[in-house]
Amino acid sequence: MSLRDRLANLRPREGTEVVGDEDLFDEGFMERLELLQVVARRLFRGQYRAERKTRKVGSGLEFADHREYSPGDDIRNLDWNVLMRLEQALVRLFEEDEDLPIRVIIDVSESMTTGHGGKLRYARQVGAALAYVGLANLDRVGLTCMSGSIHETLPAVRGKGRIFRVFEFLRSVPTGGGTDLRAGCKRVAAESSQPGLTVVLSDFYDLAGAFDGLNMLRFRKHDPVAIQVLDPVEADPRQLALRGDVSLVDVEGSERRDVTLTARTLAAYAQAHQRFCEQLAASCRSRGIPYFRAPIEVPFDDLVLRMFRRGGILQ
Amino acid sequence: MTLAGWTLAQIATVFGIGAMGITGLYLLKMRRREVVVPFAALWERVTRESETRRLWRKLRRLLSWIIQLAVLAALCFALGDPRPSSWLRDPVTLAVVVDRSASMAGPSDSEPGSRLDAAMARVRAALEALGPADRVVVIAAGAEVDVSAPLGVGPEARANLVPPTPQPGEADLTGALALARNAVAGQPGPKILIITDGALDEAGLFATQTCMASTIPCVLHRVTGPPDNLAITAFAARRYPHDREHVEVLTEFANLGDTAVSVVLEVTADGVSVGQRQLTLEPGTQARQILPDLDAARARFVAKLRSPQGRPLAGPLSDDEAYAVVPPLRPYEVTLVTDGTDLFLEAALLTLDDHVRLRGIGPDDAVAGHPSLERADLVILDVADGPVPSPLPDAHLMVFDPWRRPDRAFPLELAREVRRPILTEQDRKHPIVSHIVLKDTNLARGTTFETEPGDQVLVRTLGEPIVVLRERDRGILALGFDPRQTDLPLRVAFPLLVANAVTYFERLQAGFVASVPVGSTRELSLSELGLVDEGVTRIQVTAPSGAQTTVPVDRGRVRLRALEPGFMTLEAVDGSLPGTQVDLAVNQANVAASDLRDRTDQLDLQADAMAGPPPGAAPVADDPIWMTLLLLVAGIVAVEWFSYHRRVTV
Repeated sequence: MSLRDRLANLRPREGTEVVGDEDLFDEGFMERLELLQVVARRLFRGQYRAERKTRKVGSGLEFADHREYSPGDDIRNLDWNVLMRLEQALVRLFEEDEDLPIRVIIDVSESMTTGHGGKLRYARQVGAALAYVGLANLDRVGLTCMSGSIHETLPAVRGKGRIFRVFEFLRSVPTGGGTDLRAGCKRVAAESSQPGLTVVLSDFYDLAGAFDGLNMLRFRKHDPVAIQVLDPVEADPRQLALRGDVSLVDVEGSERRDVTLTARTLAAYAQAHQRFCEQLAASCRSRGIPYFRAPIEVPFDDLVLRMFRRGGILQ
Repeated sequence: MTLAGWTLAQIATVFGIGAMGITGLYLLKMRRREVVVPFAALWERVTRESETRRLWRKLRRLLSWIIQLAVLAALCFALGDPRPSSWLRDPVTLAVVVDRSASMAGPSDSEPGSRLDAAMARVRAALEALGPADRVVVIAAGAEVDVSAPLGVGPEARANLVPPTPQPGEADLTGALALARNAVAGQPGPKILIITDGALDEAGLFATQTCMASTIPCVLHRVTGPPDNLAITAFAARRYPHDREHVEVLTEFANLGDTAVSVVLEVTADGVSVGQRQLTLEPGTQARQILPDLDAARARFVAKLRSPQGRPLAGPLSDDEAYAVVPPLRPYEVTLVTDGTDLFLEAALLTLDDHVRLRGIGPDDAVAGHPSLERADLVILDVADGPVPSPLPDAHLMVFDPWRRPDRAFPLELAREVRRPILTEQDRKHPIVSHIVLKDTNLARGTTFETEPGDQVLVRTLGEPIVVLRERDRGILALGFDPRQTDLPLRVAFPLLVANAVTYFERLQAGFVASVPVGSTRELSLSELGLVDEGVTRIQVTAPSGAQTTVPVDRGRVRLRALEPGFMTLEAVDGSLPGTQVDLAVNQANVAASDLRDRTDQLDLQADAMAGPPPGAAPVADDPIWMTLLLLVAGIVAVEWFSYHRRVTV
């Protein structure tokens, strides 16, 4: 993105316009998804589809443990060899094989739409890519788009052919509202009957609840993954020729603030933004939540592959 | 200040309209741009730290508005084409004559420095007050006249001005004012400004008065100062007449101020101190100090005045030192024309000093062109009854009984012949016949002379001149008797008379020039300087500062001008004795030059002849003010443009 584009990105009131969704999932995007799937398959070679073992003991094929027979147990599971040798009635327990649900949460608040909606577009593409890889791995994939005022959910679907439904959902979901990760994640956790891998795509521009939402998911037995979508120009506004006396208006509707922007102020903001991101990353690391920083300059497929290589998700 | 362009009302109208427009634009500028940001909470945290600088930002905006109004005001003022009132007058061509004589080195009343410093401050004020059409020339009048700044406009003169330094001696105001008149004559608005301390000599006063009376307006500005000054007014060394190997040194100094001064006089010879005296001089008094019996081997004498406490003396320093050289011992050529019969006369001549070279020739040899007569400074004719040489030798003459033979002419006419004259009257005050008694002298015969106006009768016989001294181009001492026919040679008076006559004529010869004053051009004879002038066409002059010049010699005479006190060395470049050197002392030694009192009161000047206080400096000397205003506006706009694009004043 050239500097001129950067300049255009933060023009007053113009940054809230969202680019049209017509080319969001075009043929090029689909080709990159296919390539991504091939690469992901190599990375997951040797593993079985839908064979992620849960801690449940059930009707699987792999022996897990013995327990005392109690009336009502299926006698087919009785371990006859032990009964004959030790005269103890034990039943064999097997690990239950079940697929892991994947839920992708995309922040669609106003803060994601600044800069011609670059962050939101990027988040949608990453979300679609993750969903595609998950569907291709025969996982159940669900999507949720949320903000302070919006909460749209695509119920979990399975099968690669459902990817177009995912696209349609991402195209049609409305945007707007303030950032409220705590409330959104709480609602997702409440709605999910089965916890699973939960990927949160957001800019996390919420000083109060940026980490609380992730922690809420973790508390509800989800395996949250944080992907912070960043616009480098927003992170370091020194790249812009933005100086002098201006009125700063929050895109999510807070009070306007009259400030004088100087080089020192812009540098201070860049440092504060950097500290904010580092604090978020540190909080995630301290609780074992995988954290990825996703500048929108980086192609989405590169980001997804980096996530796969680092591990922690989709394995 | 006068507006030559738009009127004040027009300017006010334009300024009012423009100010309203600027103010409107300023108010528009005050509206802040609205910038939408995604994370205002973080911005608030960051910008909270800069709240304290908000007041300065408001002031900066206000300052920006004021600068814009100032730019507009400058433009409107430029439209008015403002001009200082001094520019509206007719152009002036000003000649500033600055006195740089020795007295200008004295302290000033108004300035911490010297009088010349005060004068230069006045010169600079005059230059800065000039309008763009005015021209000026600055002339420094010292012992010689210099142009400190050639004729040009004010800025050129200020750039080219070479500040003069005080020169020893008097100011040549005559030459300086003549140069000033020539410089401004024919120019528009000619005017002469004389800046002096008024301590002028008669020539300077006369030149000033003449300038005041001329058609070119001439005004005088006086820089005043205390008159306290102690000066050496005379300094010389001479050989004793009776002992040529020793000298005595005379120092004369005067207290020209108003307070008594204690001073130490120190005389050095070739760098060795030979005398030191401390004394106190009352105001207006002179003192004379003689250092006797000094060895003549030391040739250069320097006299210095200093304070007993070592502090510098008041007044210029140039008159606190003086220089003198010992006159060279030159032989005195005496030729005796005699028939050899007067041994008393020859014996009397042999008793004279060694520097008297005596030659004797017979009456028959005393013809024109004889080397002894050609070289002689004094010829003594004692030819008894022989004829007096005709023509007479071109030298001083001492002639005994010139009318023994009346067939030969003699400059002093014969009155009558007297038998057994009695010397009755004698001019005892005259050096030739002083300390001798002639009244009892017995004479067999004698002749008296017809005298002419100017002749000095030294001895009379019953009222008739019998010994007469005539001094015209040369001196002729005529004695109307033959020593052989008197008993005078037997008396003590005879050798004294001969010695007195020789000494008198020796003193009549061209005297040695012991020193020359600073400034004036003098024509000097090489013989007076102690140089042999035979064949000399050029001499090399080494000034006290070491600067060397070659000066032509015309018939044994040379024109010299000394500009600095000290010892000047003259060296013959050619001639019979090339390389011969003599020293010449150069002194200020001028009471008028050392007198720091203002003498211009003697001129009875009118009030309009005095220059007023220093004029105020013109606001802008070069270009029209509107041009300067436009440049100012352009400068402000350039700064604003630069700072705007550097995001300083956004």
